Amino acid sequence: MDFFSTYGFLIVSMLFQAMLGLSLYIPLMTGQLSLASPGFYALGGYIAAILSTTVFLPEGGGKWESGTFPIIYVLIETVLAGLASALLALLIGFPSLRLRGIYLALATIAFVEIVRVLSLNLEITGKAIGIFGVPQPFINKFDYVVLALPLLIASAWFVYRLERSRVGRAFTALREDELAAAAMGVNPTTNKVLAFVLGAVLAGMVGAISAHFLNTWNARQGTFDVSILVLAYVIIGGSRTFLGPILGGLLLTALPEVLRAIAGIQGLPLFLSQFLLDGRLIIYGLLIVVAPLFYPQGLITPDLFKRRAVKTKEAGA
Amino acid sequence: MTTNLFFQQVANGLAIGSVYAIFALGYTLIFSILGIINFAHGAVFTLGAYFTFTLTGTAFGFNGLLAQQKLPFSLWFPLALLGGALLAGLISVIIERLAFRPLRRRGADSLLTLVSSLGLAVAIVNIIQFLVGAEAYSYPSSALNDILTPFLFLFPDGKVPLALRVPLTEPPIIVRMVQVVIFATSIFILIALTYLINGTKVGKAMRAVAEDATTSSLLGISTDRLIQFTFFLSGFVGGIAGVLVGMSVGITGPYFGIAFGLKGLAVIVLGGLGSIPGAVLGGLVIGLGEALVPAEYIGYKDAVAFAVLFIVLLIRPQGLLGRVFIQKV
Repeated sequence: MDFFSTYGFLIVSMLFQAMLGLSLYIPLMTGQLSLASPGFYALGGYIAAILSTTVFLPEGGGKWESGTFPIIYVLIETVLAGLASALLALLIGFPSLRLRGIYLALATIAFVEIVRVLSLNLEITGKAIGIFGVPQPFINKFDYVVLALPLLIASAWFVYRLERSRVGRAFTALREDELAAAAMGVNPTTNKVLAFVLGAVLAGMVGAISAHFLNTWNARQGTFDVSILVLAYVIIGGSRTFLGPILGGLLLTALPEVLRAIAGIQGLPLFLSQFLLDGRLIIYGLLIVVAPLFYPQGLITPDLFKRRAVKTKEAGA
Repeated sequence: MTTNLFFQQVANGLAIGSVYAIFALGYTLIFSILGIINFAHGAVFTLGAYFTFTLTGTAFGFNGLLAQQKLPFSLWFPLALLGGALLAGLISVIIERLAFRPLRRRGADSLLTLVSSLGLAVAIVNIIQFLVGAEAYSYPSSALNDILTPFLFLFPDGKVPLALRVPLTEPPIIVRMVQVVIFATSIFILIALTYLINGTKVGKAMRAVAEDATTSSLLGISTDRLIQFTFFLSGFVGGIAGVLVGMSVGITGPYFGIAFGLKGLAVIVLGGLGSIPGAVLGGLVIGLGEALVPAEYIGYKDAVAFAVLFIVLLIRPQGLLGRVFIQKV
């Protein structure tokens, strides 16, 4: 079990990040670039952190009978975080989704920044220090996999089914041509808000579990930096199928560890191994610049699954 | 808020607002020509500040690849500022080559270009951190005093060094000399840019490309070169903005341009995307708005720009002075 104690934290982080990638992908299905995920992620985390440190306390102020924080409360917090995110997303979604493209991206950046400034200043969110000592439902970090993996599988399955449903096809129609879709009877606002709310719910739920997982929650958890990282998962992984952001989240979260392993190889020049250790974000950034040139739709495209059709088409052309 | 405090904050707000204005002009220039927001503009702003710092011949801190290194020469501060701004402009041209041109050639979605420029911003910021560490830097006071001393003409009584005071009021309204220099430089740049765009041939070409890129290229304007020039101009002005802010509050680390860059977005949206007078108006409004936040809510100061951004997007997406574009099929 040595492997899991060393890499348990990393593996669970990978699952969380894959879900965040998915939460940005869902609004993108309708062609809306929304960078709001980290805002909802932060909100969900605060809900879990506040509830578990102030409301869900063991009776008599002692310890829990089982020794660890009951999982049922984590699940309740996760559901509440999802609900709160849905409400907030509805509230800001209806007015802001009249905006398109760049304006929506800007509005969601503003939302993330406002959440950050609020959490830096409000008493209930612990101001700049944040909330410490979020109780642990598990002894090992790796055990969080029993929460993270089912949630990832469920959300991936949900998006998979969504893509093949009437609503999912409406999303795609909006992405390809909003005007034509509207003319065919697809309501742009309703569908965009729906996609926005679904993404927010997922991000909020991931935040709730993450707060326990990280043991602490503060204003650094949901920032513009996180927006960029999550965006990188989608752009590099693939923006046309739900597998793209999942793969992107898994790969890019594991990348620093891989780079660390490469940097450990004997005989590498010092500055190079230093670069591999400290230059993770440089490499991320450059990947985001280069990837759209070679893989305009990301590493995983729907065409991969119908390779034959593509080949015959190429042969014909 | 007393009247004096009010005027004091108005003075502070005008100084920072004028920097917002010239910084936001960098976004505006590129947006009016390409219709794309250059997210790497905040990184160029940071680079301008760091380049100028380097050119003053001051040694770097203890972290990063260039720890304790310094140039063998040191420039007079205004020259270092000019050099830093030129280098920032050059980097901006390189950014165009790396993140904009290849995608433009492929006719890619403008959102993809936005993402690509964002990636380059992340890379630049982290290269800075890799080279000189994440610590805060400030320009050596000797270098600053060089340019501030000539302005030191009112009440240099030692209590408030390098500041103007309005003497008849109590408490006196104090305007730091740095603020005067910042305001004057910004106004100068605004006037020079306005002249460049409205009074010169290259400005006419820029306006033509902004109006219709295809037609103007048919009429003999080299669009690619003009875009390059626009990026240079945007980077040059953005670099100066970086130095001005660095003079006032110091360079707070490689990320300081990112936060400023996000605020710059609020400025251009408030003024109207692509509108030059709009960027100026937006900059001053947000600068004043931030300065007039009451002291007990000072923690929320950074949210002012974003709250304004959000509200403007909801109520009047075209901004104060922008034009309404009707989406055509």
